[in-house]
Amino acid sequence: MAGDPYATLGVKKDVSQADLQKAYRRLAKKHHPDLNPGNSSAEEKFKGITAAYDLLSDPEKRAKFDRGEIDASGTERPHQRYYRDFADQGDWSGYTTSSGFADFGDFASSEDILSEIFGRSSRARRRGQDVRYHLELSFLDAINGGKQSLVLPDGSNLEVNIPPGTRDGQTLRLKGKGRPAASGGPPGDALIEVSVLPHAYFKRKGDDIYLDLPISIKEAVVGAKVAVPTPGGTIAATVPKWSNTGRVLRLRGRGVPRPDGSKGDEYVTLKIVLPKKPDPELEGFVARWQPAEESPRQSMGV
Amino acid sequence: MEMRQLIERTHLDPQVVNTWIEAEWLLPMGVRTGFDFSEADLARALFIQDLKVDFGVNDEGIAIVLHLLDQLHGLRSLLKNIRTADALAFGRDDG
Repeated sequence: MAGDPYATLGVKKDVSQADLQKAYRRLAKKHHPDLNPGNSSAEEKFKGITAAYDLLSDPEKRAKFDRGEIDASGTERPHQRYYRDFADQGDWSGYTTSSGFADFGDFASSEDILSEIFGRSSRARRRGQDVRYHLELSFLDAINGGKQSLVLPDGSNLEVNIPPGTRDGQTLRLKGKGRPAASGGPPGDALIEVSVLPHAYFKRKGDDIYLDLPISIKEAVVGAKVAVPTPGGTIAATVPKWSNTGRVLRLRGRGVPRPDGSKGDEYVTLKIVLPKKPDPELEGFVARWQPAEESPRQSMGV
Repeated sequence: MEMRQLIERTHLDPQVVNTWIEAEWLLPMGVRTGFDFSEADLARALFIQDLKVDFGVNDEGIAIVLHLLDQLHGLRSLLKNIRTADALAFGRDDG
């Protein structure tokens, strides 16, 4: 800021803080760039006014300036991007409204005026803007699909049809659910980016589901029919007798639905677990058991 | 940008920003759990802050200012389109 801050604000040297603020507000309102979208000199003036006010509204700085210890330079606020710079780029944003000329009837939109004046029927009508939303889905909702409701910033609800098998990061397009066109053209689309939350025990790779399934020693040794969770619900599967930890059962068609109606598979990795509480009976007969085989770590040379 | 970045750059209170979104003074993309603010949203938030803090405009006043400002930008955009179309039409006549 060059010059005398008192002169910039149009106040006398002995101005009170209250009058100083009044003078500042009067000028700042007049020159704030966002209140003067078409006036390119407003920004410079506004900068000068705020710099002068920042200096004089600080009693310490004001006293120093009055004593001639500092000058008025170097007090500008850092450059601020003004809203007008974005609003004035020619495109309509979600904020812009045509209510200022809605009563022009047939001329209610700029594109209509243009075609009215120039008869340019070939002119492509501008679509409304696409709007991006983000939707978090539970693991099973993404796989099984269904309807989800999205609450928009304006409080309204958008019903989203989740196709079965939706993937993390996938974008769903809802035609015509974006911003309305300013010009009577078609509205934009809503683009919904989906993120899928992890599941407590299912993992997904492509169209297949992976699951670690705990089984008891008895089930592992003598075999059993056990309940196995799948994304589509619990099913019964056979654990063959003498199944070791790490054995993988493949449940065909129990994975993720594909668009063509088929389904991926579920791979169940068995995991032998001991009973949670020590069982004296089990301890007893395992202690009496004399395994014929040598150490299971033979292949490691130990 | 996310709410966190907006707060870092504007030093606004998240509660205040949420009130402005509820009042539709700000229209970020995304949903309550994850807003996505554009640079224009940020500049608009700074403008609202100027109105409130520097100019002492109350909430009723801000709603009116924003409504008129949005109309003004609508009209400016319309005028600009007409001027562009004008230039195009003259260009066509010359050729």
